[in-house]
Amino acid sequence: MLKSVNRVVLALAGLVLLVVGGAVLATGLGWSAPSWWPWDGRHDVLLSTADRLRWRDEGWWWPAVIAALAVVVLLALWWLLAQLRRSRLSEVLVDSGDGDGARLRGRALEGVLASEAEALPGVDRAHVSLTGRRTAPEARIGLLLEAHAQPAAALAELTGEALEHARASAGLAALPAEVRLRAVKHRAQRVS
Amino acid sequence: MSEYDTEGGTQRLPVIERTPEPSGSPDLDQSASSAAYEPVGPGGARAHRFWSPRRTPALLLALVVIGAVGVLLYDISAVRAGRDAMHWRQVAAGDLATRQLQDTWVLVGAGVAAALGLWLIVLAATPGLRAVLPMRRTTADVRGGLDREAAALVLRDRAMEVSGVQSARIRMKRSKVTVRALSHFRELDDVRADLDTALGTGITELGLAKPPGLSVHVGRPAKKK
Repeated sequence: MLKSVNRVVLALAGLVLLVVGGAVLATGLGWSAPSWWPWDGRHDVLLSTADRLRWRDEGWWWPAVIAALAVVVLLALWWLLAQLRRSRLSEVLVDSGDGDGARLRGRALEGVLASEAEALPGVDRAHVSLTGRRTAPEARIGLLLEAHAQPAAALAELTGEALEHARASAGLAALPAEVRLRAVKHRAQRVS
Repeated sequence: MSEYDTEGGTQRLPVIERTPEPSGSPDLDQSASSAAYEPVGPGGARAHRFWSPRRTPALLLALVVIGAVGVLLYDISAVRAGRDAMHWRQVAAGDLATRQLQDTWVLVGAGVAAALGLWLIVLAATPGLRAVLPMRRTTADVRGGLDREAAALVLRDRAMEVSGVQSARIRMKRSKVTVRALSHFRELDDVRADLDTALGTGITELGLAKPPGLSVHVGRPAKKK
């Protein structure tokens, strides 16, 4: 969700900058401008005093400007805070089968997943965070591989063991996961 | 080629008649066994690139917008409330009304704005995260991404296991691996052939969705004078 918002807003801002900048650049370099173009030619100015004061005496002008700017500031503030917030799942709903259900703390499931992942061969450290919804959680996992680990095997074991155990024990139909694998930096060792 | 093991000789002194075979020899910990791991999923979803959330550009743009629009809003409200406009706004209004479009600074500003806009559009349209290589998906639910640096480290370790290789440098691009190895003994062609097979296995063990191409160069280290 936030991903798409970010990309759409960035694209819109880019488009506005590109169009305005490009238009000014084109006119300023002397390209012939069509009649509807906001600037008449190389000797026009960016914003003449007459243009600036055009609506100033209208009763709606200043309230409209202030309201529009305030809306922009509020939206930008919300957008800024959304970047800083990490949406992390605090609990997972477990369907216990008797109609009651239970709540599993997200931290607990994260901890179990991480410690089981770290127990796998070739994995030095693991970091897990749960996102998504309470009924359909998703896991984001970072693995730090030891020297001489095999990435494909590590991912397969993580899928088959740690993730599968977590999924089964929380009674979930599926536990989608995004796994990023890094490696511990180490020196080369000659074995000859 | 593992007969070159120089440290094996000092330990095995057959003094005791009943050695219970500690633990070392029976479990064959060979690299060849790794071929059995091969998680070849015939089905499985297609692996896509990882898309960056573009948090940092969004954060910066939001800060700039809040700063600029906020100050403008404050000043407009202050003027409405009967105070004088801030100095910068008077200067800006004057500049906007007097500088012609052919003015150098106007052109420079327009160029910078257009370039910035183009860059933002590129940021919005490209996946980013070029350092993460998507891994082959064996189940539909799990998406794996391997850091390019990690892939290079794994391949370097593979290359160092080939006998005769003194040092190896790996250049990992998104679709091609270039290996430059220095060999201090054995025929260069033999070393290269061994490196080809070892690194070929290494690349399959990375489990990448698009296995990169491999190019191997082997040379002799510079002679000491």
